[in-house]
Amino acid sequence: MDALTQLLHGFGDAVTPLNLLFALIGTLLGTAVGVLPGIGPAMTVALLLPITYVLEPTGAFIMFAGIYYGGMYGGSTTSILLNTPGESSSIMTAIEGNLMAKAGRGAAALGTAAIGSFVAGTIATLLLALVAPVVVTLAVAIGPADYFALALLAFVAVSTVLGASPVRGLASLCIGLFLGLVGTDLLTGQQRFTLGVPQLADGIDVVVVAVALFAVGEALHVASRLRHGPVQVMSSSGKFMTREDLRRSWKPWLRGTAFGFPFGALPAGGAEIPTFLSYATERRLTKHPEDFGRGAIEGVAGPEAANNAAAAGVLVPLLTLGLPTSATAAILLAAFQGYGIQPGPTLLTTESSLVWTLIASLFIGNTMLLVLNLPLVGLWVKLLKIPRPYLYAGILMFASLGSYAVNADPLDLVILLVLGLLGFAMRRFGWPVAPAVIGLILGPVAETNLRRALAISDGDLTTLVSSPFSVVVLLVAVAAVVGPPLLRRARRGQAVAA
Amino acid sequence: MSTREPAAVRPAASVPEPAPETSSSAAPASGAPAGAPASEAPAPSRNWGEVALSTLLLLLGVYLVVGAGSITVPGSSNTVGPRFFPYLVGAATILVGGLLAVRVLRGDQGPAEDGEDIDPTARTSWRSVGIIALAFLAHALLINVVGWPLAVTLMFGAVAWALGARGVVRPLLAGGIVSVVVWLLFVKALGVLLPGGILLELATAWF
Repeated sequence: MDALTQLLHGFGDAVTPLNLLFALIGTLLGTAVGVLPGIGPAMTVALLLPITYVLEPTGAFIMFAGIYYGGMYGGSTTSILLNTPGESSSIMTAIEGNLMAKAGRGAAALGTAAIGSFVAGTIATLLLALVAPVVVTLAVAIGPADYFALALLAFVAVSTVLGASPVRGLASLCIGLFLGLVGTDLLTGQQRFTLGVPQLADGIDVVVVAVALFAVGEALHVASRLRHGPVQVMSSSGKFMTREDLRRSWKPWLRGTAFGFPFGALPAGGAEIPTFLSYATERRLTKHPEDFGRGAIEGVAGPEAANNAAAAGVLVPLLTLGLPTSATAAILLAAFQGYGIQPGPTLLTTESSLVWTLIASLFIGNTMLLVLNLPLVGLWVKLLKIPRPYLYAGILMFASLGSYAVNADPLDLVILLVLGLLGFAMRRFGWPVAPAVIGLILGPVAETNLRRALAISDGDLTTLVSSPFSVVVLLVAVAAVVGPPLLRRARRGQAVAA
Repeated sequence: MSTREPAAVRPAASVPEPAPETSSSAAPASGAPAGAPASEAPAPSRNWGEVALSTLLLLLGVYLVVGAGSITVPGSSNTVGPRFFPYLVGAATILVGGLLAVRVLRGDQGPAEDGEDIDPTARTSWRSVGIIALAFLAHALLINVVGWPLAVTLMFGAVAWALGARGVVRPLLAGGIVSVVVWLLFVKALGVLLPGGILLELATAWF
């Protein structure tokens, strides 16, 4: 029960008036920005990253915990109240959520989403606190070759498993790996691909790339095909959750958590698959099948819980291995690096109090979200109605603020625009953006470990498959590349035969 | 200037583009023999823009491989130096870029990304994209000259106008108020470095 003692210490550090204030500001900002249409959790975190520059690490990460969970929560509010497709992990929540809102049961839909997020977030954060120390004890033994294999698995999983088009995911990954190469080589100090520009010797800042690909790319993409006319926000009114609603919600909450956490915690994580599985399960298990397609509360409760549990699960590989498996986690990793902290197996011992304060803050932020969001729904609805020209102009303003504040160099803003145009093109052609961000951040880590492994073995490539751990991980990675196309072909073969 | 014509709010989707609805799974199987006739597949509509982007990716791979050759390798470096990973990434980039270019030429289309504010049937408004890109570039070059708040106000106004906000005064006024408030908050309260421009810095020097 060492973890629980540590966690209690974490609470002790987090529950100071100032830190509680940081948590409150974080949850409010995270929800407010997350609610804005067109802004998903990853963009929320990228845009708000600069705010934390002025804080010391503990305060910054407490605020970040709030922003992280707040952004997740805000996103689901948007998808329930706007009858238009949003980010992929909220699509399943949106299906029945929209229908419930249309049927005048918006308040109940938002209620089950809020309480479901709270339940899932609390259980999943507790699991994080219990699992993380165990993973660390296993991870201390892994060498550079194993780590390289893990990074390779994360690359492959993010690029091919999650997106609709694996080749496009890999294309995006290649762009990110290239951007990660620009700058000074960590091990020998040689400049690579800097085109002789002195500012590029330090590499391209992660904040600039993330804000460019997410915020600027999205703003340009929306500008190219803006939905004109009045914004239609569905009513959030109606009766709040009844006892019947609660009875129908609690099992989906728990089942959603059970789907979400493991998927988030695996290096091949992500929130899309568990939300999809949760929706399918609830649809099969429900005692009210006639409600599906007309606004079934189970269809909101399950996926929403899965989404939040996955968000907590993603923190397991991030905090214990330094392995980001979602775009949001990659940006969190960048925030750690900004403070000179490299997440990895040693983090829990070297930065013990920081990590446990962060985990405690996740509990606090989660509770604040529950308390804040039910009464503040009216405010969030107003945010949804913000005129779109002003919304996207404002997004670009904050993109400028964040990127300029990094180095106070206008060149960063030009890079921001160029990469923003790239992000626009990628969206237009259906290239997912997340692999690029993961490639940028994890690429240098993968390279360092690869070279360390090969240095130890004197250049013998078989060292990469010398431990059972790396063999298994690499096999899973190969399966992730080869599996989906084979499955698809097999299915098509069956369809032809039938 | 009072160009109030709401050109950006023209009825959307008057001439809808062929919406990219073909998902990748509907594409010809990747492993199919190149010469095999696509059986009763609809005539593929090639997306030349994506062909261009994939070709650029392929060229990026070539640049990586060629450029890696000119990275200085310190004499003391052992077997695996700073060139190894760029070669690896370059080779992968060439492979992926080439494969994607071929697939797109065969008619494969990716699912264009959805969003709450995106009208998938709308015609692409290159005008909005162009104005926004130029406004953003101009503001990047202006920041060190006129300060962040003024540069951002002009950018904000231009972007809002391009996206169909009514009038010229209101977008500029909104941008001005928001940028000054944000500047005060970040610079005076949080201590972020952001040039305010002569007027604003003089006016707030006492702070």
